[in-house]
Amino acid sequence: MNEPSETTTGRARFALGPQRGDVGERELVFDVYDLSVSYGGVQAVRDVTLPIRVREITALIGPSGCGKTTVLRCLNRMNDLIDGVRIEGQVRYHGVDLYHRGVDPVEVRRRIGMVFQKPNPFPKSVFENVAFGPRIAGFKGDMGALVEESLRKAALWDEVKDKLKDSAMTLSGGQQQRLCIARAIAVEPDVILMDEPCSALDPIATARIEDLMRELVADYTIVIVTHNMQQAARVSDRTAFFTVDVDEAGHRTGTVVEYDQTEVVFTNPRDKRTEDYVTGRFG
Amino acid sequence: MPRVHFHEDLEALELDVLGMGELAERAVERAVGTLVSRDEAEAAAVIAGDDEVDERYMSIEERTFQVMALQTPVASDLRLLSVVLHSNLHLERIGDMAVNIAKISSSVRDLPPSGVILAHIQEMSDVVRPMIRTAMEAFRLRDLNLCLRLPEMDDPVDRLNIGMYQEVAALAGDPETLNWGLRMLLVARQLERVGDHAVDIGEQVGFLLTGEFREFTDASHPVHLAPDG
Amino acid sequence: MALADTRTTTDAVRRALTGRRRDLGGRLFESGLLLTLLIALATLIVLLAKIFGQGWSVFAERGTSFLTSPMSQAAGRAGIWQGIVGSLMLMAFVVVIAFPLGVGAAVYLEEYARDTRFTRFVNANIRNLAGVPSIVYGLLGLTIFVELLGFGRSVIAGGVTLAILVLPIVIITTAEALRAVPNSIREAGFGVGATKWEVVRSHVLPYAAPGIFTGTVLSISRALGETAPLLLVGAIQGTFFTGSQSLLERLQGLYTSLPTVIYTWSRQPNPDFQKLTAAAIMVLLVVLLMVNATAILLRNRYERKW
Repeated sequence: MNEPSETTTGRARFALGPQRGDVGERELVFDVYDLSVSYGGVQAVRDVTLPIRVREITALIGPSGCGKTTVLRCLNRMNDLIDGVRIEGQVRYHGVDLYHRGVDPVEVRRRIGMVFQKPNPFPKSVFENVAFGPRIAGFKGDMGALVEESLRKAALWDEVKDKLKDSAMTLSGGQQQRLCIARAIAVEPDVILMDEPCSALDPIATARIEDLMRELVADYTIVIVTHNMQQAARVSDRTAFFTVDVDEAGHRTGTVVEYDQTEVVFTNPRDKRTEDYVTGRFG
Repeated sequence: MPRVHFHEDLEALELDVLGMGELAERAVERAVGTLVSRDEAEAAAVIAGDDEVDERYMSIEERTFQVMALQTPVASDLRLLSVVLHSNLHLERIGDMAVNIAKISSSVRDLPPSGVILAHIQEMSDVVRPMIRTAMEAFRLRDLNLCLRLPEMDDPVDRLNIGMYQEVAALAGDPETLNWGLRMLLVARQLERVGDHAVDIGEQVGFLLTGEFREFTDASHPVHLAPDG
Repeated sequence: MALADTRTTTDAVRRALTGRRRDLGGRLFESGLLLTLLIALATLIVLLAKIFGQGWSVFAERGTSFLTSPMSQAAGRAGIWQGIVGSLMLMAFVVVIAFPLGVGAAVYLEEYARDTRFTRFVNANIRNLAGVPSIVYGLLGLTIFVELLGFGRSVIAGGVTLAILVLPIVIITTAEALRAVPNSIREAGFGVGATKWEVVRSHVLPYAAPGIFTGTVLSISRALGETAPLLLVGAIQGTFFTGSQSLLERLQGLYTSLPTVIYTWSRQPNPDFQKLTAAAIMVLLVVLLMVNATAILLRNRYERKW
């Protein structure tokens, strides 16, 4: 297994398996261009440009209130659910403008799934949680097999296979979050968005979900918002660092400062603000 | 076990260091061999082979740095990376020493050798190469006893090195052989330093196992010249 | 020296922690509150005792025939059967009309309507409607259902009037139950690509069901006790003959309700009717207790902490 493999620079590598970030230029899943979002007239985030590549884990990091979650929720039109939200700029998904008038947000959310900060399984059985999405999407095949496959992919099958009919609320926090991941996977999305998925979990559960992410990225594109920059360092291929601009009137608006391969952001960032944040001197 | 990929990365780095150990030991063996065989092609091959050692060195350095930046290792993981970084450097230096020996070998191929001194050098090589192997085994098996053996194994090397001065001085009669002998002093010096690097690796492994950094040999330990005789 | 200091410190600490401050004001206040509770209970107990005292003899003498006899001028033969039947029919109307309308309106207001000034205006006015005196609903019923729409003084008119009366309550309690559904559940539903109706039907309503049922049952409980509007809308206060009528004829014909019967009898000069009144009140109280108990049972059943 220790065969040397050539990289683009011709240097031999002896690692087991492909390295993170070692992927050259991949196809874009999201082309976010000059995105600005305001809530009720107050601008929350401005001029965000983020090309997101297929089957990579892209992390959005930065201090609180800098718009990371806002941007994430624009990617699957979850911000539509908030009254008074205004979105300018472009969000293209495989080339299609997500906010075009003819686009159905329900269809968008079937292809771009979401896992939330606090695990939020439906107050129903484990089986029902996973089966709900496919059922309303019109799935007519073997639901039991689909549920099993989704739970396996979420590394939860072995722990719940004997209690599929039990309430999801009897699971531990880490298990509930993996159930939410299984639920998202069951509708066979293309992208999984994760909004601080581990912030409510203990370190062991967090580590398991991080390992799961690295497995899932072989099949799905993942975008994760995280407060924990070590988490971004551990799991992501590319990292975008957000900060808050405060203008003279005291209004706070989020912007992207730097967006690069994770290795670069954590070993040699280009912008001093990024350096200050990741070294803990600020934020 | 969580953080599977991180631990796989650590294992890969360890395996690569052990691989470098093998390469370095082999290079020393071959280089010393050319002193006897006077095989020009073999000497050239040893020198060319150092490119691979250097490449591996760069790769390990880069990946270790990346792991430290991205995985924030602590405790024994962090000490492991310290061993990897230091050993990487020591082994790369050992590789350079083999190259130096091969270069010296090329430069003296037309000079008359002394069998006694050649035997002496072979003896030093036969002590020093197992030291590299022992250091690698100590690392692989996490064996503190093996680490502690290294300074003992180093004693004969020092004695042999010191003994070389007298033997070369005895060649004073023949200028060409003396010339050859003086070069052999350099070879002996290289081999003695290989031994020192092996001991240093052993100290690093000791640090990994105990969490304490100790030098095995005292700097104040005086170097005695061999008693007159 | 250190030892002495430690002992002293511990003593001082113990004194400080276990000594009780005399909280006279607090205790007086607590006693005052207890007194008010006792007064309220005492009032209730006296009332109940009086009623039971008067009404018990009716059951003792006549047993269940009190429940099954129709209205009569003769106190010895009068019973509350028609009142019970009338109340049941009225409640059926209330459930059939107020429940779907009320729940539907609440679902629309909470889940679908955007938060504009208009919706806030509507919400505020529904609350106002819940506070309108019930006799106003009686006038409404009289004008619109009895006369304008021509239902006449029938069960239909009475039932619809009561339904309108409790409608605001159903809407408000349903809205409260819907608001108590955590938003995270809705987000989870939308997150897997459900439409709003799918989220409401599959997740929001089941979660809110206990609260909605409780609210409905309490509305019924309220409607059971209403007297004034029914008097306006045509509940019969005297005796009348129902006998063998078909259901449709019954719905369109004369009717009464349990509270109306109580009211009627309470105004009779004949002292025997006083006992009957008390007995009828007992029956009404029992029915109300049963309805409330049902509410609690239903709520507990649906509230299995999922």
